[in-house]
Amino acid sequence: MLELIEVTKVYRGGKRAVDGMSLRLGTGMVGLLGPNGAGKSSLMRIMATVTRPTSGRVLFEGTDVVARPNALRRVLGYLPQDFGVYPNLTAREFLSYLAAAKGISARSARARIDELLTLVNLTEAAKRPLGKYSGGMLRRVGIAQALLADPRVIIVDEPTAGLDPEERVRFRNLLSELAADRVVLLSTHIVSDVESVAADIAIVAQGRLRRRGTPEDLLREIDGQVWEMLVPSAHVNAVQSRFVVSRMVRTPSGVRMRVLSAVPPVPDAVPVTPDLEDVYLDVLQRSSAGTAVAR
Amino acid sequence: MTSTVHIRPVRVRTVSVRAVGGLALGDFRDRVRRPAYVVILLAAVALGYFATPGVDAHWVIMQVGEYRGVYNSAYVGMVTALASALWLTLGGFYVVRNAIARDESTRVGLALAATPLRTPVYLAAKFLSNVMVLGSMVGALAVTALVMQLARGESTVVDPVALLSPFVLIAMPLVTATAGAALFFELVPGLRTGVGNIVWFFCWSVFALLGQSPKFPLGGIGVHAVVRSLVSEMEAQGLDLTSGDFSLGLTYLEDPLKTFVWNGFTPSADFVVSRLGLVGLAVVLALLPALWFGRFDPARTLRIWPGTPAPGDAPATEAAPASLVRLEHSPDYVADAPRLPRSAVVAGGSFARLLWGELRILVQGVRPWWWGGAVFIAATSTLAPATNITRVMLPVAWLWPVLIWSRLGTQRHEHGVSALLGAYPTARQRLIAEWLSGFALTAAVGIVPLLKMMSISDWAGVAAWTAGAVFIPSLALLLGSLSRTHRLFQAVYLPVWYGAVNGLPVLDFMGVIRVDGEPAGLPLAVVVGLAAVMVAAVFLADALGRRVRD
Repeated sequence: MLELIEVTKVYRGGKRAVDGMSLRLGTGMVGLLGPNGAGKSSLMRIMATVTRPTSGRVLFEGTDVVARPNALRRVLGYLPQDFGVYPNLTAREFLSYLAAAKGISARSARARIDELLTLVNLTEAAKRPLGKYSGGMLRRVGIAQALLADPRVIIVDEPTAGLDPEERVRFRNLLSELAADRVVLLSTHIVSDVESVAADIAIVAQGRLRRRGTPEDLLREIDGQVWEMLVPSAHVNAVQSRFVVSRMVRTPSGVRMRVLSAVPPVPDAVPVTPDLEDVYLDVLQRSSAGTAVAR
Repeated sequence: MTSTVHIRPVRVRTVSVRAVGGLALGDFRDRVRRPAYVVILLAAVALGYFATPGVDAHWVIMQVGEYRGVYNSAYVGMVTALASALWLTLGGFYVVRNAIARDESTRVGLALAATPLRTPVYLAAKFLSNVMVLGSMVGALAVTALVMQLARGESTVVDPVALLSPFVLIAMPLVTATAGAALFFELVPGLRTGVGNIVWFFCWSVFALLGQSPKFPLGGIGVHAVVRSLVSEMEAQGLDLTSGDFSLGLTYLEDPLKTFVWNGFTPSADFVVSRLGLVGLAVVLALLPALWFGRFDPARTLRIWPGTPAPGDAPATEAAPASLVRLEHSPDYVADAPRLPRSAVVAGGSFARLLWGELRILVQGVRPWWWGGAVFIAATSTLAPATNITRVMLPVAWLWPVLIWSRLGTQRHEHGVSALLGAYPTARQRLIAEWLSGFALTAAVGIVPLLKMMSISDWAGVAAWTAGAVFIPSLALLLGSLSRTHRLFQAVYLPVWYGAVNGLPVLDFMGVIRVDGEPAGLPLAVVVGLAAVMVAAVFLADALGRRVRD
């Protein structure tokens, strides 16, 4: 449905944010994972038709949306990482304006806005100026605007930033439900945001797609390569300099460390079941080391 | 490999006055690395060029009767310095008007507020940065003066002292005072907003007019001593002094001026003291707000003109936390599948609502006093005699919304909404709706003068009104879109309006000037044509902006 073909984005000054990336998205949710500065937001902006790629093509149902962005914009719900609002408009007025900008009829917009305000728990605050909203409430307004036009493609960039834990879970569930019959692309650097809801995970680093697959496939790739061990405090630095450490917990008897290694790092290390955070760190480690990642 | 980061402990000591230079330099660097700075410098160079017109030019910046000085170092330096003193005190104010606002919008101010930096030190650094920005413009003008002296070729002997001393003695003290005033205006509730920009324009108008008098406090512009020197030199050369007075400002000439040689003047001690007094006044203006400056504490922010509602007004609190309330009663709430909207989305008929939305955005947060003023102007126009309609009431009506017009083209960037709208269709329709909202406001505030003109069958006036109503939002949208700030429109529109009201035909876009009852300002076709070009430029800039963004 939505396809990127060899997309590259080079900013003025030569910064190559996206480097020849190809990605094909169909119905369902893809979790886009990557560290800060990996090129996720640039990629999201290109897919949302906000930024034009330096080279490459973006196709939506066969239409090149770089040349004809409106083909996608009419059915797109986009929640950028950072956005603002008109501070003196109420949530209802703001959404009503955006609905008009989407080309939605008045009656349809009214009904939709009511439903969306309920969905994001802002009905009671709908008459207050947005300038008096908290960060989390504004985020929910952003979520509501992304769903205004009953989008077929939803692109959300770090959507849970600023949400409290309950709202985060609720939003993840919402995305999960939406993904049943839509294309949903969720970008984040928080592994827990995607591991519970995304059946398809893409990991990007340094502007390139480093790994893609289901969580099971990705976990299988590092099966037997994650270890836990108890290390005296004095040896922590030595371990850190030799292995990728995914977690450390100080205990009275030493530091319990979780490390990635193809072989047991110390004789008494215990193999443990890998999780997505281990996969993520493994991929980042390999990509920063310049290792070929396509396995 | 994961590595341990060792953070070396830092010995924190109280930031002293020595920090002023460092802070000011950082601030100055940030400002000069913005593309707008190049435009500002080019404007300064253009000002230097206009200050020394060629022998066949029909304009002049400074003259004594039918005479001007030969373009030697002393005269070129003086005329360029006086031109900069006159115009940089106006334009420069708007250039450096955002020293504190930038720290507020970038939130650097919050970080600085949490440091041991003392408020006077912070303000002194901001003041110094303002002086450096305006001083760099004066520097550009001094270089331009040298180039122009050589280019005009009337005297090729360069006397650096004669060339530069007017910049040091006249231009720099005045831009220093402007730098201090700009900072003061930023820190006074009520003046920190667009109202301050308007107030400054009128302060400057008074200063430009009365500041040439020797009786003006602190010597005003400082031009009086220069005039005395010019006149005594002319008397010594036996030139006719009865043909006219001294004039400083852009003046149209029928015939080229005669020339005489002037080799500069030696400033008296009083003159130097008065210039130092200006600098002292600037320092006082810059540092006085330390008494009340709230160091970016939102709870201490006063808001007179609409903008972002200050968090201090009412603390932002979560809306009725339905999720949390339900959570208490239903532990598995968060696992509930949310109920998706089921209503169908139907397209169509959205332009009128888009226009309504743009109107709402344009006038969002406008205070009741503003509406009250608009109603008062309309009521007064109703009662005013027909002869005063175009001369007085229409200009007043079309000055009142200047701060609202200046929002056109800026708000989606200012509030960060462009991040959302970039992925929306109908970009062109939104621009049309935005322009129409500006036109609607212009028409609404000028409706009574229009009806009055119609009632007396002043159809030429009606046509001029229509051209003006088209011109204003076009100018505002263009300048707002290009600069993304309110200030450029305010800085451009006020002098244009002032020129029109004071009978300058070349600036009369609304039919103020009448000869035998007919508008004698800019021809209708020119005003409408300019508006069309400006609107086209807005669309072009928007399309280019979307193409070359990032």
